[in-house]
Amino acid sequence: MNYTDQIREIASRLLENGQVDMVMAWEKGAFDYQSLPYVARSLEDIDKMIFDDYCVHNLSTSLLRYRDSNEKIGIVVKGCDSRGLVRLLEDNQIKRERLYIIGVCCSGVMDPLQAMIANSGFSRIKDTSGLAAKCANCIQPNPVIYDELVGATQEARGPANRFEKVSEIENMSVEERRAFFEDVFSRCIRCYACRQACIACDCRTCIFEETRPQWVGRETSISDNMMYHMVRSMHMAGRCIDCGECERVCPVGIPLMLINRKLIKEVDHLYGPYEAGMVYIEGQKPPFSVYDEKDQDDFI
Amino acid sequence: MKYFKKGQIEKIIDRLAEKADVYVPMLRGQQSGFYSWKSYDENYDDLIFDLLNVYSPPKNIVLPQTEKMYSFDQQGQEIIIKPEEIPVEPNVIFGIRSCDVKAIEYLDEVFFTRTFVDEFYKARRDQVTIVANACYNPGTNCFCKSMGVNPLEPEAADVILREVENGYVWESKTEKGNILTKQIEDLLEEKEVELYEPNRFVRKVNYDGVAEKLKDLFDHPMWEKYSDPCQTCGICTYMCPTCYCFDVQVKNWGEEGYRFRCWDSCMYREYTQMAGGHNPREAATERFRNRFLHKLQFFNERYGTPLCTGCGRCVVACPAGVDIIRMIELIKGAEPSV
Repeated sequence: MNYTDQIREIASRLLENGQVDMVMAWEKGAFDYQSLPYVARSLEDIDKMIFDDYCVHNLSTSLLRYRDSNEKIGIVVKGCDSRGLVRLLEDNQIKRERLYIIGVCCSGVMDPLQAMIANSGFSRIKDTSGLAAKCANCIQPNPVIYDELVGATQEARGPANRFEKVSEIENMSVEERRAFFEDVFSRCIRCYACRQACIACDCRTCIFEETRPQWVGRETSISDNMMYHMVRSMHMAGRCIDCGECERVCPVGIPLMLINRKLIKEVDHLYGPYEAGMVYIEGQKPPFSVYDEKDQDDFI
Repeated sequence: MKYFKKGQIEKIIDRLAEKADVYVPMLRGQQSGFYSWKSYDENYDDLIFDLLNVYSPPKNIVLPQTEKMYSFDQQGQEIIIKPEEIPVEPNVIFGIRSCDVKAIEYLDEVFFTRTFVDEFYKARRDQVTIVANACYNPGTNCFCKSMGVNPLEPEAADVILREVENGYVWESKTEKGNILTKQIEDLLEEKEVELYEPNRFVRKVNYDGVAEKLKDLFDHPMWEKYSDPCQTCGICTYMCPTCYCFDVQVKNWGEEGYRFRCWDSCMYREYTQMAGGHNPREAATERFRNRFLHKLQFFNERYGTPLCTGCGRCVVACPAGVDIIRMIELIKGAEPSV
């Protein structure tokens, strides 16, 4: 998958006729297997812009940096990333007219982060030529919202049941489950990369940054770590777009998508059918942003 | 030369573990780091002397991510303060690379010099014996040499291991090292072996003049541009073997509680949050800039060296690919703004 020429052409046009002030895409890093988020603000910047197999990042998250400005922004999104745009629009984080969305029909991407780790002597894994782990569960390869589309429409690659691992955990005994989660959360170093990479995390001040009062302790103890992850995951309910960025960037390999998927499943079951960010309808809100007297509450 | 065969390494660690807690490089599930040999589980853990380095740096051995300082209990008019006892078991960091040894030297500077000795750090550091593993084969993102580190001669090491064909040369450098040598004497043999020629570095950067130049670049527009991809997570600082910033916090229930310190990161907004509500580094760009200025300018002004040992971890681990080597080059090439 290489759409560099198409992306450059569109970006040049948009910048030239003043339709946008900047275009968010990617550039190459120091290695072939490294593509990095990149913002082009002038025609001179276009030469660096690329789109290839390593454009794994969900750029929609970066829009939050510009939510208070007036610049018009061109942005390149894959299928999963485009669902993030829907979420931002639903949450009134950015106005639709400020965006020019260049959608890419995605045949799956590779993970520069895994390639970096493998090639730098920090891992025994040497072969990173396969698709990124997050792409294995892809349900939306084609953009759900766009102004211009690049590439041919793709079939979803996801497995028949992306909740298989979730069911496995559900079938554990309480003790087994507790042991499992204690093990994975005890690794957490609280770098907050999962939060920073997340499109659902669009709060201006995160609860974990509150100091008056401080809601969650800063110790890397099992209880504070569990509290962090419990609060984080509950906030994902009805908001996670299954882009897998949190799990991808976690430096200690916490299976965050497993937890997020449990919530996707629950929200779909209790308030659905619902899957976050699959379609943009002006004024539509996700289940946890509205109050409805008919909402289920028998579990309270 | 003192020498032992590769197959002997676990025996040597076992022997050292009789008198100390020995930290060794391991793969543990999806993580890698220095973990206590006592916790080694052969079904789960994998010793990785054959890999370049561990992903999580060993700084937590001398500067734990969370560390209790004292506890308190108010009884009526009395407040009883109980200092925390710092565990003082002797320990050995076995197989640490030059970049990470140099990082401990920088932590020593921070916590021991300039009029203040940090007693928590000292209690742990005094108990550490460093058995370094000389680096003959730098990794793709290693640039320690560019940052003034000698991959073959880690200065603060008590013992230097040198990988040779089928074995290791054991080279004691200090009195602490000699004590370990005595302990394992019968496992070492005298043998003349040929040392490897060190491989060349893939990546290099010239730090000369960067600290000076940065003085004029504080308001440069480049920070805005280059911080664009940064997501302001704390990976680069927590994975860094030299980043030492910590916060002091408290936990209490009613009348009792304890005070602790924990790693903090200049990438977080909360890091510079002031009591009155003002935050001097509110914007992501400002935090991004501070990280590089601290590493490449401020630390150099105070201690005469950059706060980077070229281990390459931040370069590898950054989800957005922010690369300190590239940043140094960009700084060198920047035109001071008017």
